[in-house]
Amino acid sequence: MNNKVVIWSVLFLGVMGLYILGEGTIFVEGARLLFASIILVSITIYYYIDRASSGEDIYLRKIPGLQALEEAVGRATEMGKSVLFVPGIMDLDQVETVTGLNLLGHVAEYTAQYETSLNVPVSRSIVMEAGREICKESYLKSGRPDLYYDDMVHYISDEQFAYAAGVNGIMEREKPAACFYLGKFYAESLILAETGNSIGAIQIAGTGSPSQIPFFVTACDYTLIGEEFFTASAYLSNKPELVGSIKGQDIVKLLVMIAMVLTVVFNGLYQAGWIAFDILSLF
Amino acid sequence: MLLKRHIPLMILIGVGLLTLFGHFINNEGIQNFVNNDATQWFDIIASFAIFLGALNMLKIQLMKIIKKQKNWQYSILAVIGFAFAIFAGFFYRGANFITLSDVKDGQLAVVSAIIAEEINESNPHLIQTKLEASQTAFEIDKIYMTSESAKSVIEKLHPYVDTIELKSKPWGAHVQTKGSLFYWMFINIITPLGATMFALLAFFVASASYRAFRIRNFEATLLLVAGIILMLGRVPIGGLIPWWAVSIILMFGISAISAPFIKERSLLLGLTSGGIIIIIICGTFMGWNQHPPELLSIPVIQDWIFAYPTMAGSRALMIGIALGIVATSFRIIIGLDKSFLGDK
Amino acid sequence: MEIMKRIFILLGSLDRRIIFLIVGLSVLIPLLKPEWVNLPIRPRPESQIVFNEINKLNEGDKILLSFEYGPSTKPEIHPMSIAILKHLFAKNIQVYGFALWPDGNFMSTEAFSEVSHDYGKKYGIDYVNLGYKPGAEAVVKGIAADIRALYTVDLKGTPIDDIPMMKDVVNVENFDFVFSLSAGFPGSTEWVQYACDPKNIPMSTGVTSIQVTDILPYVENGQIRGILAGMPGAAEYESLVEAALKEMDLSVKPGKASGMMAAQSIAHVVIVLFIIFGNITYYITRKNKGEDKI
Repeated sequence: MNNKVVIWSVLFLGVMGLYILGEGTIFVEGARLLFASIILVSITIYYYIDRASSGEDIYLRKIPGLQALEEAVGRATEMGKSVLFVPGIMDLDQVETVTGLNLLGHVAEYTAQYETSLNVPVSRSIVMEAGREICKESYLKSGRPDLYYDDMVHYISDEQFAYAAGVNGIMEREKPAACFYLGKFYAESLILAETGNSIGAIQIAGTGSPSQIPFFVTACDYTLIGEEFFTASAYLSNKPELVGSIKGQDIVKLLVMIAMVLTVVFNGLYQAGWIAFDILSLF
Repeated sequence: MLLKRHIPLMILIGVGLLTLFGHFINNEGIQNFVNNDATQWFDIIASFAIFLGALNMLKIQLMKIIKKQKNWQYSILAVIGFAFAIFAGFFYRGANFITLSDVKDGQLAVVSAIIAEEINESNPHLIQTKLEASQTAFEIDKIYMTSESAKSVIEKLHPYVDTIELKSKPWGAHVQTKGSLFYWMFINIITPLGATMFALLAFFVASASYRAFRIRNFEATLLLVAGIILMLGRVPIGGLIPWWAVSIILMFGISAISAPFIKERSLLLGLTSGGIIIIIICGTFMGWNQHPPELLSIPVIQDWIFAYPTMAGSRALMIGIALGIVATSFRIIIGLDKSFLGDK
Repeated sequence: MEIMKRIFILLGSLDRRIIFLIVGLSVLIPLLKPEWVNLPIRPRPESQIVFNEINKLNEGDKILLSFEYGPSTKPEIHPMSIAILKHLFAKNIQVYGFALWPDGNFMSTEAFSEVSHDYGKKYGIDYVNLGYKPGAEAVVKGIAADIRALYTVDLKGTPIDDIPMMKDVVNVENFDFVFSLSAGFPGSTEWVQYACDPKNIPMSTGVTSIQVTDILPYVENGQIRGILAGMPGAAEYESLVEAALKEMDLSVKPGKASGMMAAQSIAHVVIVLFIIFGNITYYITRKNKGEDKI
């Protein structure tokens, strides 16, 4: 058996043992399962990060939406039009917004290389400042700091539909050739996507809001669904450690599926009276 | 590098680990930080940061007007709207109200009648009872946006009351008070504008459905059939569709779904027509006109679609997204993913 | 046959502005002339569960009513608020208003002022509005732990210790029921996760139609008891409340959602017809292209 698996397993048991010993004194009671889940998930992801860093080749399937990012910017360049990037309507405390801004960094690198103008209307002031930093760094890294200007990332409104109206106005007036919707969205998603569709822009969307995914799938050319969106930054960076974390995430998902199947089976056996152990009592 | 990379990273890792594992530490201070302070710090920062955004927006719109760039006329509206909101929230309180005390002897009924007329109360006796019962100053239950509009009432009451005062609701509470300028702006400008933008969704849903719901392949057809059933089932009209119409819709749906697998078009048409005829004949003989089966009720089918396939897909998406958030947060907390700091 | 084909091709390739116009008329005409389309409203099981849960409450029970919607979602959720308040006030249940959205303050003020007078309810005795506090989940956690750590005054600026009905209320455990009128984040999910499920307080919710799929898993698990799903849910609840108020011999003002269901129904039928025409056109044009190739 792999030495690292043994080491990490011992570490997991050790940490859990410490937690159980300290329960009620140092640690709170009744959170054993949650703590174990967090440690298990962390160890699993870190194990695969470690393996990837050691040189293991990790296969990632093609995600068309991510591969189309550069193509979309290229299309805008050929048409002589701008690129519109919408990082969602929520603040930086949402993981989707952070992910969206990570992708903004990649898109900004492409626009810097291709000398295409980039327009990033935002809904929150902190996101504006973070977006500016990211764009500035990307333009600097691409060797084109002269193309960067602060107002490429600009604030519109905190109010959801005022923001949607503002972005729609930008789309109708400037007619960008490529529109990216990558972040946290709510009801305004369809308004943005349909307007983008009506101006003939290529649209790539990604969000962590399950209820908005169908709207983006209907109206956009490419949609990053579920975890595809969250892995985007790691996927595009191509760094082994980050790619390893994607595999770790997939293994955690496999563990969750196994747990679900076991729960169904054991609960079924318990309800049929074949075993005395009620697995639901663990939760 | 220290200020731009290392210090932010140390703050990130420190606070991230503290917030994550703080849930499990049996210490009141840490629990308080994790549950209350941590999120409130963000809210305080975000509240101050709003000035940055507002000034940026104002700067861009003003530059557009000054330089007379394309469509600069719309920027005038943006600036006026901004100025009006600031004025209504921070400078003009409005929300005036009248308090009175020491009603002159024998004038209670007159004063009650004047107040009742002012607030459209049909029974002045109710006002009189409240006036008699009030031990401190009596507040007239009406808010005046301007002090001028209140003055006419004050003049009417003046001969009958010794002490009349015109006051304003406190700063802050005035934005929520019905009758204040800010409240008027919210109800008469912001609310209809917001509702209008949301109403656009209806039109966009229509054009998106029209364009996207095509029988291109198996999945698209499944989406089409489910979409039609859900749209009809969610509204009362779905329950009025008779069983035979539902069976026709279902047969067409089944045909559309199986169309990619049946090459012979005449065979497909024959199966569809035959199916419809058989169901209608069976239904007529089995008395479905009086007692239609639940399976042939659009709302029941819609409920099933919601309860099983939609729920399963929704749960799977939620679990996937939650895992994605966990993994992304893990990468950020351990300092592996620094791209949001600009470091790739 | 050729004429029919041409008509279908025309219907299936309409300019989107014509589609918008027809959809607009299909909504406008039933709103202007509701008597032309009279549709019976049959309550769904989920709406019935909400009604039953609130009906189980007794006089003097306390309910936490949280307003998490704004002007854009007001047409969908405000009718629910009005119907819920009518039901609660008719049963003499004490209502404690909170808001997790800043816009919720305006919505709650409007809802309370619209309904309270009709039932003779007094502020501070029968209902109180504590209003909005920033913080999203932190506010819910705060209410679950100690309300006074977050709120010192109500929406009008009155110290909460001076309000009679706040006397025995310390945290969410002092409430008999929680109802969230939610249009997004923060909303019902936060109430379930941080207050109602950990503290075992029964809860129900009214949400926009788009949000229903997000909330349904909690409803299926029993963590949320029933759900009012969008405007149809509001209309169903209105019909249940109106029937209940008639039984109590109380006067009933018809709700707004019921009147809007005709418009929504016709609009849905119009959209379905456009989808069908679009597919027929797609089939015909694909067939013609196939014949041309041969």
